Amino acid sequence: MAAGRVDLSVDLAGLRLVNPVLVASGTFGYGTEYADLVDVSKLGGIITKGITLQPREGNPPPRICETPAGMLNAIGLQNPGVEVFICDKLPALREFGIPVIVNIAGETADDYVALAARLSECEAIAALELNLSCPNVKQGGMHFGIDCALTRTVVGAVREATRLPLITKLSPNVTDIAALARAARDGGTDALSLINTLLGMNVDIRRRQPTLANVTGGLSGPAIRPVAVRMVWDVADAVDLPIVGMGGIMSAADALQFIMAGATAVAVGTANFVDPGVTGRIIKDLAVFCEEHGVARIADLIGAAHSEESR
Amino acid sequence: MHAQTVRLIHLKQVGPDCHLLKFDCPEVANQARPGQFVHLRVTAGCDPLLRRPFSVMRTNPAEGSFEVLVRVVGRGTEMLAQSQPGSEFHVLGPLGNPFELSGPEGDVVLVAGGVGVAPLIFLATALHESERHRYVRALFGAGTEDDLCCWLELSGVCDEFTAVTEDGSAGETGLVTDFLPEQLDRGAGCVYACGPRAMLAEVARQCQAAAVPCFVSLEQWMGCGVGACLGCVIPTRASGVGRYQRVCKDGPVFDAAVIDWEAMRGGCGPG
Ligand SMILES: Cc1cc2nc3c(=O)[nH]c(=O)nc-3n(C[C@H](O)[C@H](O)[C@H](O)COP(=O)(O)OP(=O)(O)OC[C@H]3O[C@@H](n4cnc5c(N)ncnc54)[C@H](O)[C@@H]3O)c2cc1C
Ligand SMILES: Cc1cc2nc3c(=O)[nH]c(=O)nc-3n(C[C@H](O)[C@H](O)[C@H](O)COP(=O)(O)O)c2cc1C
Ligand code: FES
Repeated sequence: MAAGRVDLSVDLAGLRLVNPVLVASGTFGYGTEYADLVDVSKLGGIITKGITLQPREGNPPPRICETPAGMLNAIGLQNPGVEVFICDKLPALREFGIPVIVNIAGETADDYVALAARLSECEAIAALELNLSCPNVKQGGMHFGIDCALTRTVVGAVREATRLPLITKLSPNVTDIAALARAARDGGTDALSLINTLLGMNVDIRRRQPTLANVTGGLSGPAIRPVAVRMVWDVADAVDLPIVGMGGIMSAADALQFIMAGATAVAVGTANFVDPGVTGRIIKDLAVFCEEHGVARIADLIGAAHSEESR
Repeated sequence: MHAQTVRLIHLKQVGPDCHLLKFDCPEVANQARPGQFVHLRVTAGCDPLLRRPFSVMRTNPAEGSFEVLVRVVGRGTEMLAQSQPGSEFHVLGPLGNPFELSGPEGDVVLVAGGVGVAPLIFLATALHESERHRYVRALFGAGTEDDLCCWLELSGVCDEFTAVTEDGSAGETGLVTDFLPEQLDRGAGCVYACGPRAMLAEVARQCQAAAVPCFVSLEQWMGCGVGACLGCVIPTRASGVGRYQRVCKDGPVFDAAVIDWEAMRGGCGPG
């Protein structure tokens, strides 16, 4: 079997992706930032930076801080607001010709509903990703994502406001992520994505103060990968919904761990900063892996680590 | 903007903790403009994970090379300083907005602090080589004589050059900003500065008082380096979404008048 003939396509809640490699929200801007360096049209899809109803100026700096094999960020959802997004960002995103998944965030359930309704009027949006898990804003964000009843309510309300496929993004900052996954399912989500960043902190010992102006930030990068793989595994066991797995993916081997743990697609985040060419390499290496292991369709590997036979 | 693996062709220690690194890279050599930077991956591994930004200090288009001046402050810069000629590094660049060369009429005053001299050497070289003859006066401050890295490279392309050290071991004694008032009194078309934050804030204050346009090159910790992550912002006087601007994409060169220096003092980021 030639690598070119391996079928990398996957079906994410009715959304057909030519390959399972997406870019994670907040790490790839609105696509154009990387257009000089990456052939964006070759990606399975793009998940855009979190959008809110009103523009947000974001948190004061410093907003990021490097940690061992990872980084903390507290961007605070800086974004131009949904109207500017639709006018200024969406047309260019559409040009890439790949599924555009718009990540939305709100402070109240009504915010999410209004965002979903507004974005549903636009063409060229493939799906919505509900960010119920941002650790870096005072109101909303993670506040929803750590409470099962709230999660179910918000997802249910958005479900009624749009016909676009809904992907609910789960927070890892909980004791039982499977319970949240079930709550999102009960609310009517079509898919789940996980994980968002893990709440963390760094102290600048020279200044004797927190390094980040926001005090805490979200940890991402290779450091969180084992936690993320475990959570994808747990959620795949708990619910029968497609999963977008993410957290520290740097290579095809990392992506395959998520897929075999139960993810239908994966999203690459922090690794884009380290190596903008990483997504292209992952897509290529996924095909090579499949070819070398006699796998005709990558979809056959989804959840492969769960089956008794594969042991 | 290019992304590629480049070879380190020369490395020289030029101060107690400063090293001059020359890379073989025709693309950056040809395209980089003064004030722009490269985003360098110091290891192929995961620690340190993120790239490190460095201003381009000089280019040699004929040779297809560019140089950066690196001060060792932590692990990443230590690894660079310890590397051997022939080693390969992945580089993104040139990135960011350059200094505006066609500034207002009148003398150009450069204010460099420590390793902040790097982009100003590139700028002075470009001004020196440009058709439009501009009279360039440079102030270069550092802790001690040894810390005045590459001062010859700067003085060689300026019409006037003043060194300032805190301990008086070379040139004038004091802070570099102690000697800016007399430069401004003589009249200046425009001031370009790069160095520690406190120095830049003082340069900006004096320039504003003297109504002289001032452009500064700022630093902030970076994630992507290409404007995507919104991690590298600095506060400006604007309110709303325009308040925080990206050093990597909207900078690193900023008009000092747009920066919120008061908020910068709150310890937001490096130096
Ligand atoms: C646009 C730009 C241009 C720069 N040009 C140069 C240059 O020409 N020469 C040069 O020597 N340095 C330059 N710097 C600073 C350089 O990027 C940092 O010193 C370097 O990233 C530190 O890496 P490290 O691993 O050695 O330090 P780390 O171990 O990461 O940190 C050590 C110390 O360095 C500080 N630090 C970390 N990142 C930065 C940063 N981005 N800026 C300033 N301080 C930082 C931290 O506060 C810490 O105290 C530039 C920075 C920017 C943003
Ligand atoms: C700088 C930065 C900004 C982010 N912004 C968002 C965001 O706006 N919305 C969101 O849902 N997730 C956001 N994330 C989380 C990522 O989408 C992803 O879930 C997380 O970083 C884990 O993946 P990684 O380890 O591959 O980066 C952001 C992450 C980073 C590093
Ligand atoms: S470093 Fe990512 S926006 Fe500047």
